Amino acid sequence: MKIKKVLCMVLCAMLALSLVACGGTPSGGDEEANKIVIFQQKTEIYDQLVELAKVYQEETGVEVEVWPIAGDDYYQNLKTYMTSESGPTVFTLNSASEMEEMKGYLADIGDVEVLGKIQDSLLKVMDGKTVGIPMTAEGFGIVYNKDMVDPAAISTMDGLISFIETSGANGINGLGLSQEDYFLMGQILNFPFAVQDDPVGFCRKLYNGEVNLADVAEFQDFAKLMVAIRENQVNPVEVTYDGNCGDFATGKSAAIHQGNWCYSMFSSYEIDFDMDLAGVPVGGNTAISVGIPSYWFVNGDASEAEQQLGKDFLNWLYGSETGADYLMNKFGFLPVVDGMTSEKLDPISASLADAIAEGNVIDWTFNTEWPVSFITTNLQPLAEEFFTTDMSEADFLAKLTEAFVTAANG
Amino acid sequence: MSTKTLTLAGGKRKAGRIVGNVVLLLFCLIYLSPVYIIWVNSFKSRAEMYMNVLALPETFTWEYYMGAITRMDFVGVFTNSLIVTVCSALLLVVLCSMTAWALVRTKTRLSRFLYRFLILTMLIPFQTVMMPLMQEMNLLTKVLGIPMKNSLGGLIFMYIGFGAGMSVFLFHGFIKSSVPASLEEAAIIDGCGTWQLYWRIVFPMLKPITVTVIILNVIWIWNDYLLPSLTLTSNANKTIPVMTSMFFGTYSIEWNTAMAALVLTILPVIIFYFCAQKYIIKGVMAGAVKG
Amino acid sequence: MPLRKTWFALFTIPLLFAFAIVVIVPFLCGIYYSFFSWDGLPKNPMIFVGFENYADVFRDTQFLSSLLRTTLFTLLTVVIVNVLAMAFAMAVTSRLKLRNVGRVMLFMPYLIGGLLLGYIWQFILGDCMTMLGEITGREDLFFYWLSDREFAFIGLIVVATWQMAGYMMVIYIAGMQSISDDILEAAKMDGAGYWQTFFRVRLPLLMPSITICLFLTLSNCFKIYDVNIALTRGGPANATEMVSMNIFNEIFSKSNYGYGQAKAIVFFFIVGIITMLQVRATAKREVEV
Repeated sequence: MKIKKVLCMVLCAMLALSLVACGGTPSGGDEEANKIVIFQQKTEIYDQLVELAKVYQEETGVEVEVWPIAGDDYYQNLKTYMTSESGPTVFTLNSASEMEEMKGYLADIGDVEVLGKIQDSLLKVMDGKTVGIPMTAEGFGIVYNKDMVDPAAISTMDGLISFIETSGANGINGLGLSQEDYFLMGQILNFPFAVQDDPVGFCRKLYNGEVNLADVAEFQDFAKLMVAIRENQVNPVEVTYDGNCGDFATGKSAAIHQGNWCYSMFSSYEIDFDMDLAGVPVGGNTAISVGIPSYWFVNGDASEAEQQLGKDFLNWLYGSETGADYLMNKFGFLPVVDGMTSEKLDPISASLADAIAEGNVIDWTFNTEWPVSFITTNLQPLAEEFFTTDMSEADFLAKLTEAFVTAANG
Repeated sequence: MSTKTLTLAGGKRKAGRIVGNVVLLLFCLIYLSPVYIIWVNSFKSRAEMYMNVLALPETFTWEYYMGAITRMDFVGVFTNSLIVTVCSALLLVVLCSMTAWALVRTKTRLSRFLYRFLILTMLIPFQTVMMPLMQEMNLLTKVLGIPMKNSLGGLIFMYIGFGAGMSVFLFHGFIKSSVPASLEEAAIIDGCGTWQLYWRIVFPMLKPITVTVIILNVIWIWNDYLLPSLTLTSNANKTIPVMTSMFFGTYSIEWNTAMAALVLTILPVIIFYFCAQKYIIKGVMAGAVKG
Repeated sequence: MPLRKTWFALFTIPLLFAFAIVVIVPFLCGIYYSFFSWDGLPKNPMIFVGFENYADVFRDTQFLSSLLRTTLFTLLTVVIVNVLAMAFAMAVTSRLKLRNVGRVMLFMPYLIGGLLLGYIWQFILGDCMTMLGEITGREDLFFYWLSDREFAFIGLIVVATWQMAGYMMVIYIAGMQSISDDILEAAKMDGAGYWQTFFRVRLPLLMPSITICLFLTLSNCFKIYDVNIALTRGGPANATEMVSMNIFNEIFSKSNYGYGQAKAIVFFFIVGIITMLQVRATAKREVEV
């Protein structure tokens, strides 16, 4: 009897609870829109974005909710939200292939005021419609310790390789890489592509089988560099991003291949040296690789009113003083809007900004021209094989060519 | 003479037990040593962590714990997690034990088919059903007006569906081997109805397995990340593991805060498990006396 | 004692309802999608391709080799996990004073998942192993395991075992507690030794738990994903890529949703057949009270 009573009570309580839980969350969409949802994958600016959302609500009365997400699961979750019509109002995407796939969900934001102040080449245009606003600019190259590296000495490939060899003999990593797919080979491989006269045309030819990378001088340079790294220092496959940055901060690596985002990794170290950014000297290159890591988009599947709110938000973020203050000083972004300046850049971003001002930059091909998920599913296994076996330069370039051709046509 | 041998034997047994305890403890400590890494590093800065992962922290700063608590809105997400976990686990026990008993006691083709079917679906990887599932939930929400999307109730409902296979499997095995049908027959002869029979005679005998099922489900649901991250979109509804994900950037991961958050997350579960597992023994004793 | 139909319905329908909506319907949708070439987004075109996806699955050498690898992994891990879990359960259901502490400690690894699991084990199997090699001089055995094809695979087994053994232990404990002391007492009276009692009395009575644990380890090992992604991400050079990872990469990285679903369905049937054979084989040995 007792048990039955208890059970009845528990069941009733649970039903009631479930009802309350259900009732507590009204489904959005149909009512008048006064709220937007932002979903983006730069977890490092999450806290600041939440703060910004509060400021925006105070100024305009529009509620802004920022969803948190583990960086790796971002696209998978975004896609699932989109399929079930519960997508965010404003979101970001990284690679051209993701944007191509999501094309049907990207609203035309051509009427946003602030677009007039952004260079056309920085905007994302698809089928003649402007759909994306650049988040920031990022750049990567050789981040080096000024006390240990003479920039003139590493401005040629032979110089860089002999530097790696002598550093290796002294037990120091000349140019540290780390095991994560983008950091092992994904980004550094951009250099030999981007220094071609016509990178886009070069990619087309490569995918059509008209080019063998083994015959291209810049790629031969690249392969030599990779061999030097493999032979003279700690195997990059055994180094994590944290470890690589730590090695640099503590002087165990003279230089690392990284981008301006990595400066935040040094915050808890006591750094007593100056650092600078240089290009990877494939074919005598000195330029730094600069591109737009991701764009803001407005969900074309949301109601008209919500889309308008999303556009208003982006306009405010990139057009207003408060927004600019957050972008430059709290997010640490590089300016993409004309007239926007930042005085508080970290050393790597500062040299990056200088390089941009001088025009000493080359484009990113890896997130615009390379086949879908090439870095993760094709390049990474090959890079791991290269670093854990004695694969020769010729073999490597042959396999790299083959990987590009299969991925592009598969 | 006899007392002497007795104490000798007793002493031997005592010594054996001490050795047994020491061996068990040592083994557990070795087995758990990886967890030590989580605990120490939840107090260290990135630089300190880089210098030495294994060393004790220079100072036991609560900075990262406080950071995790405030940034996650810990109280709020904790409540959500608690509601979802408790409701799902209890409902699973009630519904699955009933189903399992019915399946064991009816030896028809249908019951055998249902049993196999329930078990087989445990083999479906969640990631392959998640997109259609979310579409279906969207449809239910839109057409029938049942708030399945972005509601704790909807999530509980989904947990019942996904947990059904394993809980039925566990109950089924236990009922088949440890609940004598003769006892039920006797009760029926005494004029006991099916409902009373189940709740007054059968269910109390399931105590050890019930506790086990609750433990396993609580831990699964408490730690589950993917399903709530897909269903619970608005921040007010998020559970602990979903909120923890904000410490994991694609590359720059805040290890210290993430580890502090993990310690905070699993502590309640460990305490719960420690308390609950005692009932596995108690239940058996009670059952044995009755049987 | 036959249960009346109405009672049977009353007892089973609530659960089966939820189960059908949450699991069966999406699963059937998945089968439907496997006949299309599609990236998963409703606004993008779905092209019907018939059984082409299925034909491709059997030509996909990377998938087939990951299937083989997963099978080997499963065979090894299932044995190790179950032996270990049973030993744990024996130890913590004995009369030892520390049994309750032991239960919690041995179970704790199961609570740690995801990237943090990867972090600690990358450190242990990487840096710690290297250090150990320097100390002991046995650098052929102690080195950075995760950059070696074979040792990375062994590393996966170690971590999966570490995680799963405590979980299975909980189920074995429940099974052991349900063996009545009378039977064990009777065996002792008859002069049976410890091991004799174990093999002749305990083990047969534990068969239901063994059926369950074998099934669970089998299915968990076949489906393994979390440990795989956290520890090796399939590397080095795809040498540790398991089936689940292969499928999810197809669905989410390469955006071949239909093809990925076809792989998942093929995989489901293969594993289903294996596990059903196992459940049948062990269930036959169960004794009903």
